[in-house]
Amino acid sequence: MASILTSCIGTSSSIPRSGLELLAAARSLSQQLGGIPVQTLFLGSGVKEQASALIHHGADQVLLADHPCLEHPEDEVVLGIAERTVRQLAPRVVLLPQDELSGGHVGPRLAYRLKTGIVTDCTGFAVQNGHIRWLRPVYGGKAMAYMCIRGPLQIATIRSRAFEPLPADPLRAGEIQEVSLAPEVPSTSVTVVERVEAAEAEGGISLDRAEIIVSGGRGMGSAEGFSILHEMARVLGAAVGGSRPAADMGWVPHSHLIGQTGKIVAPNLYIAVGISGATQHMAGAGSSKTIVAINKDPDAPIFKLAHIGVVGEWEKVIPPLIQALQEMGSC
Amino acid sequence: MHIVVCLKQIIDPEVPFHLFRIDPVAKAQIRGSHPLVISSYDEVAVEVAIQAKERFGGRVTIVSIGTKETVQALHQALAMGADAAVLLCDPLFERTDSFGKAQILAAALRKIGDFDLILCGRQAGDVEMGLVGPFLAEELGIPCATLVSNLVSANGKVRLKRPTESGCEVLEAPLPCLATVTNDESNVPRYASVKGIRAAMRTPIPTWTAADLGLNAPALGQERRIEIDEMWIPQREIRCELIAGESAEEKARNLALRLREMGAVR
Repeated sequence: MASILTSCIGTSSSIPRSGLELLAAARSLSQQLGGIPVQTLFLGSGVKEQASALIHHGADQVLLADHPCLEHPEDEVVLGIAERTVRQLAPRVVLLPQDELSGGHVGPRLAYRLKTGIVTDCTGFAVQNGHIRWLRPVYGGKAMAYMCIRGPLQIATIRSRAFEPLPADPLRAGEIQEVSLAPEVPSTSVTVVERVEAAEAEGGISLDRAEIIVSGGRGMGSAEGFSILHEMARVLGAAVGGSRPAADMGWVPHSHLIGQTGKIVAPNLYIAVGISGATQHMAGAGSSKTIVAINKDPDAPIFKLAHIGVVGEWEKVIPPLIQALQEMGSC
Repeated sequence: MHIVVCLKQIIDPEVPFHLFRIDPVAKAQIRGSHPLVISSYDEVAVEVAIQAKERFGGRVTIVSIGTKETVQALHQALAMGADAAVLLCDPLFERTDSFGKAQILAAALRKIGDFDLILCGRQAGDVEMGLVGPFLAEELGIPCATLVSNLVSANGKVRLKRPTESGCEVLEAPLPCLATVTNDESNVPRYASVKGIRAAMRTPIPTWTAADLGLNAPALGQERRIEIDEMWIPQREIRCELIAGESAEEKARNLALRLREMGAVR
């Protein structure tokens, strides 16, 4: 069927935002392709109850693979199910989230097996004479490109936050169909043998989900300097990130590094403190809706990339800023 | 254990915005006078390989598809502690897409033969597609572990650390396998020692051509599956609104008010 197939790995309690973003992307693409149907491959353990939410958010059909082995599915299991589903359904387009599992691994290997092309990390698309042109940043966001796939099937991974989930429409109708995992659950050669949850993640807000991110750079001077950013983050309900110098000096963990060699984020509000605005960093933060720069150097490149700027030393600006934010929050 | 690292040399990605140019016809960055460097995640992969050699023994070989200039990047990896390096260079290689690159690398790895672990950076620092590593694993028909930051153990099979959003995972994979490498605290690339640099300059770097690898134009998939249709530099029309104020306190207060007015904070 000439359809658009999206994928989503859920849990018994939630559907990841990326799954809903893909549906928004798929609906937009479907419209540009003359209204072709949108199917979603929904994987997880105990996720059946969640399937109708995918229909409310834009799917015409949900292919449900609900199995205990899909609690924390290994990459190869997802790849195996995706490959079989795509071969059976023969969709025109496959959209996967550009997350660490599906985008980093499943998408490229799926494309290789199906002998077709893939464009990763797309932020948009345009249809021209019936052909899809996939839009994506290149060179750390310094340039944009339209890429085309020559092959029987279009596969693309979509960057997180590039699309806003559609509002849920509880009246939207669709079909839920269970997929069997027969003949047997695919075996894997690469297995997860241990999971370690970092203590520091507790209570903290994940960078991927944060609406507000407070980020510090070399200008913070020390790990102690970062403590005031954590304080501001608590007041704002924000996550804390850092630029590469800050991560390399150990002021923030590498998992909180924002930039071309770290996380790519796009919160509503990004507050960059003591960050010069090197291209490496802006590749990770440049898509934020509002960028605020606080820097003592009026010539710092960040002031050419930020929407709002404060020229001043953070030591003098941040304490009264925290106080003002606290006062506003309490009134 | 024999670790092979696949490395790409790229134009320094730290080139600032105002010096960055593209050729809209070639649909690629214009080199200009910018230096070439090892793509950052590939340099991290070299570091991971050398750390593994130091802890578990074995040797490290670097392969790279490139030009004569790429020898410089290979020397750098040798100086960091790699044992051998091979340059894959042929006019036939130039127009290939990620599928073609994977075929070239696969041919080189088959020629090397006795590899146990292949490391590739998670994505190149220029076009950042992140395809060659997983493609190469598929082409060689070996398992693929993605986004790992280090080796935990190596004993017939490997255990690999993969940082996650909330901590980390340990993956176990049989050998031979391929892993794509991401960065964390444990794998910040080292600087080469003077001794290492001297030794690197004495290490011969063979060049393998398409003929050496038994590759010809049809085998390299003349039909590219991924084409760049158009490339441009987006206009950044951001006019930064500077918050006024006589003192830092006043600026801070005005910023807070402005953010609330915009609805950016509650």
